[in-house]
Amino acid sequence: MSEPVDEVISVESLNKRFGDLVAVDDISFSVRRGEVFGILGPNGAGKTTTLECIEGLQEPSSGRISVLGTEVARDPNTVKERIGVQLQASAYFDYLTLTEILELFGRFYSRRVPPAELLSTVGLEDKANTTVGKLSGGQQQRFTIAATLVNDPEVVFLDEPTAGLDPQARRNLWDFVQSINSQGRTIVLTTHYMEEAEFLCDRVAIMDQGRIVTLDTPTNLVRSLPVPYEVRASTLNEFSSNGLADLDCVTEVLDDQNRGFRLRCSDAASTMPALMDWVAKNDIKLTHLEVTPANLEDVFLSLTGRALRD
Amino acid sequence: MLLLQLTIANVKMIVRNRQALFWAMAFPLVMVVIFGLIAQDRVSTTTIAVVDYAQDDISRQLIQNLAEVESFDVDVRQDEAVARDEIADDDLNFLIIIPRDLTSKANRTPPVEVALIYDETTQTSGVILSAVSRFLDQMNLEIAGAPTRLVLAPEGILIEEFSFIDFLLPGIAVWGIMSFSVIGVATSIANYREKKILRRILATPLKVRTFFFALVLAYLGMALIQASLILSVGGLVYGVPITGNFLVIGLFILLGNLVFLNLGFIVGAYSKSVQAASGLGNLVVLPMVMFSGVFFPPDALPGVLTSVVQFLPLAPMVEAVRGATLEAKGFSDFPLEIGIMALWIALTSLVAVKVFRFQ
Repeated sequence: MSEPVDEVISVESLNKRFGDLVAVDDISFSVRRGEVFGILGPNGAGKTTTLECIEGLQEPSSGRISVLGTEVARDPNTVKERIGVQLQASAYFDYLTLTEILELFGRFYSRRVPPAELLSTVGLEDKANTTVGKLSGGQQQRFTIAATLVNDPEVVFLDEPTAGLDPQARRNLWDFVQSINSQGRTIVLTTHYMEEAEFLCDRVAIMDQGRIVTLDTPTNLVRSLPVPYEVRASTLNEFSSNGLADLDCVTEVLDDQNRGFRLRCSDAASTMPALMDWVAKNDIKLTHLEVTPANLEDVFLSLTGRALRD
Repeated sequence: MLLLQLTIANVKMIVRNRQALFWAMAFPLVMVVIFGLIAQDRVSTTTIAVVDYAQDDISRQLIQNLAEVESFDVDVRQDEAVARDEIADDDLNFLIIIPRDLTSKANRTPPVEVALIYDETTQTSGVILSAVSRFLDQMNLEIAGAPTRLVLAPEGILIEEFSFIDFLLPGIAVWGIMSFSVIGVATSIANYREKKILRRILATPLKVRTFFFALVLAYLGMALIQASLILSVGGLVYGVPITGNFLVIGLFILLGNLVFLNLGFIVGAYSKSVQAASGLGNLVVLPMVMFSGVFFPPDALPGVLTSVVQFLPLAPMVEAVRGATLEAKGFSDFPLEIGIMALWIALTSLVAVKVFRFQ
C-alpha cells in the first residue's frame, strides 16, 4: 500500500445507514501517527458508529477505510491485530481476576504484553488478583484501557473513556491517556465533554447528525470563532451602558443589568484598555471582572445553533 | 493451545459462580436424598398386633410363624380393647385375637375361631389374610396328625426389579445437567451481551465461534462431573445398581447435552437481560422435567401427551441414560432415542447459528 507514512487512518466518504436512519453521512478524515485525535459531538451524532466502522465491528454502507495501510473491509483481522479497542460502557468477565482476563485476551493476539506490565501502566498492579466487580468506577475504566494494550497496539481507540466518572477520576484518566500517547501510540477517542477534547486532543473533529461540521486543533477552532472572548463584570453602583457597545472590538452586549454587564469581543487585548477607560470616565466601581476565552462548546453552538449537551 | 486455555477460563468462571454451582451440583443431590428417604419409607414392614389369650404351645407356634415372615412385624398386646381402638383410629391395620381355649377345644367341632380384625381399605390385607390362613391350615394338619403329602417347592426366578430411587437417579442426573446447561449458557450469553463482552471479543482477532466452542466444551465437561457425582452418591449411599459401562453412559450424556447447550444459546440470544434468560430458560426446562420421564415413565401420561413428549429432547436422553446405567444397555438398544437426539442436535444447531448470525 502506498499510504503516506504519517497517516495511520484514512476514512473516505464513509456512509452508514440503519434502515432509514443515516448514522454516518459521507464523512472523510485522516488521523496522523502519534496524535490524539478526538471526535466530539452530542449523543447520537454518529461518533461510536464511525469508530466501530474503523475498528471493523460494523460494516460501512459505503466508503473506504484503511488503518495502518490495510483496508479494513478487505482484511479486518490484520487490522484487529494492530489496534486496541475500548468499547463504550463495556465490562469484562465477572469471575476472572484482572491478570486472568489480560492473559486470556493476550492469547487472542500473536503479539502480547505481560499482564503485570499492563496493570502497572494504569496503576492497578496491587489489584492483579481482584475481579472487575470489586474495582471502583475509575479503576474499571483504567482497567479497560489496560485491556486495550494487551497486543501492544499502534493505534488505540477509546469510546467515551471518561463517561460517568467524577471530575477527579476523569483528570486521573486523562493522565493515563497522555502517558499511553507518549509511548508513541496514536489515540482516537470520542467524547461529549469539550474540556476533555480541549485537554487531550491534538486535533478534534466535531460531529453532528452524522456529519463532521469542522476539524482542526482545539486552539484554531476557538480562534476561528468571530467572538472568541466573553467579558463579564459586576458593579457596585447602578450605571448607564451608553457607549459600551462602541468600545474597541466589542461585537455584542449580551445583557446590561443594573449592577453588571456581559459582552462579547473579538480581541480581548484591544477591548480591555478601552473598557478600563470607559469605566473610569463613567465613575463606575467594578466589584468583579472576568475575561473568558470561548471554548469548543461555543464552537459547537455557533456551528450548529444548538448546545453540545441538552 | 488457545482452545484449551479458553475452555479452562470458562471452567474457572463456572466453578467460581458459587450460586450456579449449587444448583448444578448440590441441588440434584438434595433431590436424591429427599427421594431416597421417601423411597425407603415405601418398603416398610406391616405391623400385626396379636392378643394371645391362650398362651400355649400352639398359639406361640402361630406367633412365631408370623414373626418369621420378613415383612411382618408382630406386636404382642395384652389389652384387646386398646388394640381395637387403634384399628378404628387407623393407627393399626391388623389385629389377631387367639381365644383362651385354643388347645382344649382344638380337636372338637365346631372349630375354634381365631379372629383377624383389619381395615378393609388396607391394600395389603389380601396378603395378610392368605398368610394367616395358610399358617392355620398348616397347624390344623399338625393337630390332626395328618402326614404331609404335598409340599410346595417354590422356585423364585429373580426378575430385576428396580426401586423408585433406582428409577429416579438417572433422571435426576439428566435433569440437573439439563437445567445447568440451558440456564447456565443462556445467562452467560445474556450477561456477555449485556456487558458487551461479545462485542469486545469481536474487536480482537479471535473468532467468536472459537469462544462459543470453548464454552460448549466447558459445559460438556461439567455435565460429566455432574453425572459422576450424582450417580456415585446414588450408588454408594442408596445402593442403586449402576451396572452400565461408563463410556456409554458418558456418551449418551454428551449427546443429549449438546441439545441443551444449543437451547441455552438460543434462549440467551433471545433474552434481553440475565434475568430474562434465567426466566426463559426455566420455561424451557420445567415442562420437560415434568413430562419427560424424570419422575414417572412418560407412558403414564394421557395418550396424546405421551406421543408428543417422547419426541422432546429430554425424554430420549433420560430413557437412554437410565437404560445404560441400570441395565447396562448399549447404543444398539436405543436407535430411536439416538435418532431423536441427533435430529434435535441438528435442528437446534441450525437455529442457534441463525439467531447468532442475525445478531
